[in-house]
Formats: sequence, structure tokens, C-alpha cells
Amino acid sequence: MYFSLNILILAGLCCLLHSCDAQVKSKSPSLSERVQQLTELTLKKSVLRLNSAKFKEYVKATPRNYSVIVMFTALTPQRQCSICRHANDEFLIVANSFRYSQAFSNKLFFTMVDFDEGADVFQMLRLNTAPIFMHFPPKGKVKSSDTFDIQRLGFGAESLARWIAERTDVQIRVFRPPSYSGTMALITLFALVAGFLYLRRNNLDFLYNKTLWGIAAVFFCLAMISGQMWNHIRGPPFVHRSQSGGVAYIHGSSQGQFVLETYIVIVLNSAVVMGMIMMTDAAGRKNCDVRMRQILVCVGLAIVAIFFSVILSIFRSKAHSYPYSFLFK
Amino acid sequence: MKTTVSNPSGWKSLITFTVLLLAWLSGFSSRLFAVIRFESIIHEFDPWFNYRATAYMVQHGFYQFLNWFDERAWYPLGRIVGGTVYPGLMITSGGIHYVLHALNIPVHIRDICVFLAPVFSGLTAISTYLLTKELWSAGAGLFAACFIAIVPGYISRSVAGSYDNEGIAIFALQYTYYLWVKSVKTGSIFWSCLTALSYFYMVSAWGGYVFIINLIPLHVFVLLLMGRYSNRLFTSYTTFYILGLLFSMQIPFVGFQPIRTSEHMAASGVFALVLVVAVLKYMQSVLSKAEFKYFFTFAAVAAAAFVFLTVVILTYLGFIAPWSGRFYSLWDTGYAKIHIPIIASVSEHQPTTWFSFFFDLHILVTTFPVGLWYCIKDINDERVFVVLYAISAVYFAGVMVRLMLTLTPVVCMLAGVAFSRLFELFLKEEDGPAAAAAANAGDSDSDTEASGDHKSRNMYDKAGKLRKMKHEQQRDNEGLGMNIRTIVIVAVMMMLMMFAVHCTWVTSNSYSSPSIVLASYGQDGSRQILDDFREAYHWLSHNTDSDARVMSWWDYGYQIAGMANRTTLVDNNTWNNSHIALVGKAMSSKEEDAYKIMVSLDVDYVLVIFGGVIGYSGDDINKFLWMVRIAEGEHPKDIHESDYFSERGEFRVDAEGSQTLLNCLMYKLCYYRFGELKLDYRSPAGFDRVRNVIIGNKNFDLKYLEEAYTTEHWLVRIYRVKKESEFNRPRIPVADRSVRIADLTSKKARQRKKGSIKSKPTVVKGRKPAAKL
Repeated sequence: MYFSLNILILAGLCCLLHSCDAQVKSKSPSLSERVQQLTELTLKKSVLRLNSAKFKEYVKATPRNYSVIVMFTALTPQRQCSICRHANDEFLIVANSFRYSQAFSNKLFFTMVDFDEGADVFQMLRLNTAPIFMHFPPKGKVKSSDTFDIQRLGFGAESLARWIAERTDVQIRVFRPPSYSGTMALITLFALVAGFLYLRRNNLDFLYNKTLWGIAAVFFCLAMISGQMWNHIRGPPFVHRSQSGGVAYIHGSSQGQFVLETYIVIVLNSAVVMGMIMMTDAAGRKNCDVRMRQILVCVGLAIVAIFFSVILSIFRSKAHSYPYSFLFK
Repeated sequence: MKTTVSNPSGWKSLITFTVLLLAWLSGFSSRLFAVIRFESIIHEFDPWFNYRATAYMVQHGFYQFLNWFDERAWYPLGRIVGGTVYPGLMITSGGIHYVLHALNIPVHIRDICVFLAPVFSGLTAISTYLLTKELWSAGAGLFAACFIAIVPGYISRSVAGSYDNEGIAIFALQYTYYLWVKSVKTGSIFWSCLTALSYFYMVSAWGGYVFIINLIPLHVFVLLLMGRYSNRLFTSYTTFYILGLLFSMQIPFVGFQPIRTSEHMAASGVFALVLVVAVLKYMQSVLSKAEFKYFFTFAAVAAAAFVFLTVVILTYLGFIAPWSGRFYSLWDTGYAKIHIPIIASVSEHQPTTWFSFFFDLHILVTTFPVGLWYCIKDINDERVFVVLYAISAVYFAGVMVRLMLTLTPVVCMLAGVAFSRLFELFLKEEDGPAAAAAANAGDSDSDTEASGDHKSRNMYDKAGKLRKMKHEQQRDNEGLGMNIRTIVIVAVMMMLMMFAVHCTWVTSNSYSSPSIVLASYGQDGSRQILDDFREAYHWLSHNTDSDARVMSWWDYGYQIAGMANRTTLVDNNTWNNSHIALVGKAMSSKEEDAYKIMVSLDVDYVLVIFGGVIGYSGDDINKFLWMVRIAEGEHPKDIHESDYFSERGEFRVDAEGSQTLLNCLMYKLCYYRFGELKLDYRSPAGFDRVRNVIIGNKNFDLKYLEEAYTTEHWLVRIYRVKKESEFNRPRIPVADRSVRIADLTSKKARQRKKGSIKSKPTVVKGRKPAAKL
């Protein structure tokens, strides 16, 4: 998922040479000037875009009395770094929360460097993946803990803010622009249902249709007992692909499951339920052809027995040392 | 004689009685694995506190118990026990103890505590039978009773020795629901009063009473929506609500919660709604149709707006507390993970995989939707209740493994409905000769089967046959044929038999370990008992001061208090997060920083659980990350979770692990002198059997603590915290330790000598001091 830049070292070198030539040897502005420029820029836009020259001017220049948080990223579409866009969104949320908060000061600035604008910065810091968040403290060298650990902490705005608070002592309360999508979806749903009911106001019998309600309730139960809630909370992979190219559909241990596995289980469970209902209904119906009923009973029984044994054998493969099986091993 | 034999109702009650008795017996005996294998001992963690509280109550009396301030827990804060427990469990076993002793049967309170849950499982089976009988039929009830007697989902919380609230609460839950259904059916105040009383018992027993006080109003609400309002409903709900509210507020721990927290607001809202509907129904009978239509719209809108606004305003003003974290995490499933690590850290608060559902319920989980289907197809007032029960319980069980317990009874009931319907249709003979054959087949089946409940099922079905005989003869359509029916019955019987076998296997293998005494099995199947926990706790109780303070992670708080009778800092009643975080901080910081915290908390001993020698995976090193997380939540400046991971972001204790981890107190206490230990001749010294690595930091000394006791298999290690004076003195080399005496004259000589001033200034007369120039 991470956008690897290793192959672009050559391009980076070219850029580096180019920018060294192009860089105008102007006198570097004093500390107060820099702070003022940065503050003005920040007031316009909460995250400053830096190219390599600006990066050297604002981030690398000494002395500094401010911290800089830099996001190294690759946002141009041809880089195809989808994760960068998500990280950028979260970063913007943090920067905006800081920009419009009480704690706003000129001690902390949010900046970003795009690979296509400042490849030599990447070169200089020996970065070959994106996105990376780094903190440049006012004094001292950049330590390993000044790089935000995306692998472990993710790039959620909350964890970013916690990391920033840890590194710079600036507490940022993350304020997400309230998401109206959920509310909108709910309102749309209600509107649809209400509209539907209104259109069919002369024929509301379907509300009293027990089959419909029954199917809905049974389906809900089946979804729950097949562990869809676990999927929702834990977010497991769809299937597991091993290094050798094999695909595992069933999680090997009893502690986990894959999404496809739960779909298999839901199908097996519903088959057992259907078989059972088929069997019972066939026996209960009196005004029907006997032959037909007998066939239905046999089919129902076969479905129940076979699919229950399949579930049992999957269960057995997950629970090690479970001794029992039915029909299949 | 002949009349009694041929009288179907007599047979019916005899069979019912036999089946329920057998269900009780089989349920009781299948819960005894732990007692037979080990001994009559209280299990795990929470039961130890319940046992301690019960023993206190039996010794000091009920009022003393209500006023009990426990200074041995949460040092230095203490804990008000009487006001922070559900006393139902203690009162139940204390009452049994009292009655038995009044009858001069001397039973120790511990044995009552150990066997309370298995005994109550029989009562649960009976109340499940009653409830299912009200909902469907007596046959379904017997099935449900047999299922719930042996189903692992319920056994997991009610084996002998697991002396916990859930053991009696499921009985109270089922019984309350039975009485509620009964009162809705009859509409009599008598049954609703009994419902409220049973609800009172439930409130006193378990925090899960919130499930009842939300499910019953939901039932009423849905009935109103379905247009099934009746005077019966009005009488039963209003009586139940008022009495139940008053009763529930009598429990000190619950107090004013029923009128002040959001969890209980649904009940009051529905109460108001029922009243409004009743008024409307009355007006309908008084007003003309046009007037009523106008009045109805107005009143409905006004009432709804009024109730809603009241709740919102009261919540806003702070009279009603918003949802508490534990309940909130049921709706917003990601909530606990982010905000309450202490809830997320408990394994029973995790969501449920399909595996766990199948493991705990086996065939029932795949068949209960069938019962649900028939209940919906054949709906009436009380079946609405069981449908709602099933849907809400299955949702909660999906969110939290622990709530599998509330799902289990309804699954048993609905599966009972499904199976009883199936057997009713297939065992009932439709034509003469086939009937006799089927009956014979049934008889031989029941004789060969050893398991009590299978036998009973057949017997029940025989009763059904006998009962149906009379009107059977009038019908003369063709049947399915004997062969098919027999095949179906045998196949389904086999599946049910697998269920019984599965239940026994699961109970025996998964749910019957006391977790205080461990057992390991050798190659030849011989069993070794590891009794390290009790060894350590007894050491504490015999070798330390009676007011010594022991610091450990909160999991072991109740056990230390219960078995060693020593003061603990934190325990399983996790009411004070910051105190736990402080202990977590001490465990995860360096020795000298930890020492400061330990001194400030007056700690005398530190107890850690270490499984590296025997491969016990539930030890403190494996729980360590949660300690760090909880500590980080309260002390974000000092503790950083990332410091405890290696460069590659792994949590490991070998040489590649992070230095912070290899030098923190928990690591040092667990691995002190472990580097010198060779477990067997093949593995190198300091090989940890849980993590399967050689530990990273082998040679270190403890400065501020000293090893006090380590159990036989190193499972529990106890350290004494040194006093300031023990390490604060400057170290003097041995050579310098003796005091040098310059004057070597003998004592006698010294005594005789007159006192004189050394280098006394002497005046030399008539001489000038030499001029220096």
C-alpha cells in the first residue's frame, strides 16, 4: 500500500542537482521574520506546502523557536498513493483544529512536502516511503521518536494529536467537521419509507405480512450468530493469502475468522434452518399430495443432516482436538 | 387402578415431573467435573470476593454486612462493600445456611457457595419449562428444560465453585419473564405483583436486571404499535412498573438509579404512553368518531412531544445521567476500544465469533431460527415477547461474549419449540397399524438410550400420542409412511445425541477448570496438579504482617483478599481507574521510579504471576501491554506504549526487545534470576516457555526490592519492598568497617593516668619570639 520511491532515486538525484543550481543564494531571513512569514501563511492556509527551498528556509534553518510538523507525502494522482490522501485528510483535520483553537500560537506550524515538489528533501532525509509524519523540534536533533509510527498507531487525527502533544506540549483537541452523512442517510431512509407507505396507503397489508417479518427476524439472527458483529468491530480480511500463494478461507484458530468464512457459515446455517422448516411444514400440511410431502421431507432431512455435518466439520477443523463429527470428518 | 393408568392427565404430570427431575439431576451432575477432579473449591476471581462477603455476612449478620467498610481493599481508599454489591447472591446462600443450621444440618458456608449454582441450574430448567409452556406447549417446555440443563452457554457460568451472580440471576431472569407472560395473559394483579417481586430478586442479584426493565417495556410498546392494547396489558404493566420501581430502589447499590439514569427511562416513557393510550381508549368510547379523530391527533402529538421534551430537558439539566460507558459500548461498538481500555481489556467484553456461538450452543444455534419463524408465523401477545427477547439477546451476544448468557435461555426455548413441533408431527401416528409400530419403535429407542433427557423426550411424546388418540380416529387421510417417519426421527435423535455428547465434552474440557488449581497432563496421561496460587497465598497469610499491603495487578486482588487475607491496592471491582493506572505505572516504570510510587502507596510486598517456567500463558507479561495502556491513559507524560515495542513494533522479551521493557519493574520481577535457570538439558538457560525465547536481560540485581518467596513452579513470585534504611546507607568496604583505635595503652594504664591537655601552650619566660624579618 505504501508508495515506494526506491525506483525514483535517479529522478530524485536529478531534481536535487537541478534545485541546487536553481536555488538563489539569498540572504536567509532572520528568526522573527521567519516566524512572522510562517504565521501569516498559516493564517491563510492551515497546512503550508513546502518545496525544497522553503523547507530549508523554514524547517532546517537555525535558530528556531518553533516546532514544525511535516507530512511527507505524494499526492499527485499519477503516484497512485491512496493512503496518502486519507492521511492528508486526517492531517488537515488536526491542522485545522489547531488553527481555530484557543491554543493557536506561533510555536507550532503544520507543513507538508510533496514528493513531486521536493524530492531532494526526501533524498536528504533518506525517506523512501510516503506518507511520513515528522516533527522538527526547536532545538536539538530529530530523534527516532520524532517520526510518527504509522504502522502501529495508524494515522487517525486523534492519535496524531496525541503524538503532537507528546512531542511539543501543545494539546490539540481534535474537532472533526461534523459528519452529516449518517444523519442524511437516516433521513433519506425515513423519507423513503414514509413515501413508500404514503404511496401504498390504501394497501398496507404487507405490514401485517408475517412471512416478511419472519424472514427479516430470522435473517437478523443468522447474521448475528455467524459473527457479522465481530467482523464489524474487528475488521478482519476477506480471505487470507499466504506467502506461497495459497488462499485460506477458514481461519485456523478459534479466536478469529475471515469475512468469507462468516458468509459460508451464514449459508450453512440458513440451509439447516430451511431444511428444518421444509421438513416440519411437509409433515404438517394435510391437503397436499402425499408423494410430494414425502419428497419434501426427505430433501429437508438430507439438507439438515448434510449441512449440519459440514458446519460441524468446519468447527472441528478450528477447534483442535475436538473429537466428534457427523457424516463427514 | 385402570382409571389412573388410562387417565392421560395423570400420566402427563408424572412424565413432566420425571423429566424435570432428570433434567435437574443431569444438569447438577454435569456441573460437578471440577469438584470431582480437584476438590470443593471456589473458582477464579470474582467468586472469591462473593465468598468472602458471604462468609462475612454469615459471621457478622446482615446489618453489619450492609454497613461493611472494607479497609483491606483499595488501600488507602477502602471500599464500602454494603453499598456497592448486589446482595442477592449472599442473601440466598446465607439464607440457605441459616435454614440448614436451624434444622441442625451443619454445612460449611463454603460448600453452600460451591454448590449453589448447580442447584439453581435445576430451578432455571423448571422456570424455562414454565415459560416455554406459556409460550408454546408443554412439550416444547420439556425440550427447553432439558436443553438448558446441559447447554454449555449456561454451564460456563454455573459450574460448581463458580459462585457468581449469574448463577442465580438466570433463574431470576427466566422466572420473572414467566410471571410477566403469565400476567399479560391473565391480566391479573396477582401475577403482576409476583412479577414485581421476582424482578426485585433479580435486581438484588445481578446488574443484568437492566435487560428486564428494558425488554418488558419494549414488549408493551411493540404490542401497542401492533394495536394489541388490552386492559390486561394495562393492568399488568402499570402494576409491575410501579411496584418494580419501588422494589428496585430498595437495593442500596441501585438506589435512585431507576429514576435518574437513561437506562431506565424507556420504562417510564412506556408507562406514560400506556396511560395516554388508556385515556384515549376511554375517550373513544365517550366521544363521537369525528371528535375523536381530531382529539386523537392532538393528544398523540402533544403527549409524545411532552414525554420527549421532559426527558431531554431533565438530561440536559443533569437530573438524568446519560448512558454509562458499559451500556453505551453496546450501541456504539467502537466506543469502549477508544475510551475505556479497562473494559476493552477484559476478554469477556470482546465481540463473539461464530465459533463461540457454535461452541456454546451447538445444534441449538442452527435450529432456534426455526422456532423463531414459527413463533412469528403463529403470533400472539406472548410470542411477541419471545421474538423480541430473541432478537435483542442475539444482538447483545454478538457484541459481547459475556452476554451469551442471556441469549442461551431464549435459544433453548426456541429450539425447544422447533424440535417439539417436529417431533409432534412425526411421532403422531396418522393411521392405525403404523401407530402401533411407531410406538414400539419409540419404546425400544427409549430403553436403549442411557441419557436421561433422551429417554424423557420419548416418554413425553408417548404421552402426546396417548392424548391424541381420540380425535385421531376421525381423520382418515394418508400419512407419510412409517419408514420415512422413523428415518427422520432416528436422524434427528442422532443429532440431539451429538448435542448431549458435545455438551459433556465442552463442560469437561473447557468450563471445569477452577483456574486456581491448574492441572497438566503428562505423556502417559498422568495428571499433575499445580497448586502454586494457593501455596503463595498461604505463604502470604503465614509469613507477613497481618496489615501488610500487597501490590499486584487487579486480577488477583480478590484472591489475595480472600485467601491470604491481606490488604490489596486494586482488585477486580475496577471502580477507580486512576488507582489502577498508578499500579500499572509502577509496574511499567524503572525500578527507582516504581519505588517512589510504591513508597507513596505504602506497599510492603509485590506479587507477580509468571508462567515462563511451566508455560502458563495467562501471566503478567502477557497482560503487561494492558497495564501500559491503562497507565498511559492516566499518565501520558511518563508512560508511552511505543517505548515497549522493539524497533519493528513487536512486543518481545528477548534480546531484541526494547530497553524500556527489559528494564521495567514487571520484567525484572518476573525474570529475576531466571537467567540462571536451566529448565531441561536441551534448552538454554533463561528460556521462557510461554514466549518461546531466551530472555534478553539476564544479569541484573534488584536494588529496592528483594525476593521473598517463589512458588514451586515459579508461577507466583513475591517480593518484599525494602525500607529506605536498607539500601540508603553508603557502602563501606569490609576493611574499613572496624573502628581504628590509635591509643593502644591498656585500660589499667589509662585509668591511672591523670588527665592532661594535649599540646598545652607553655609560656617560656624572658624570651622574645624570634623575629622573622
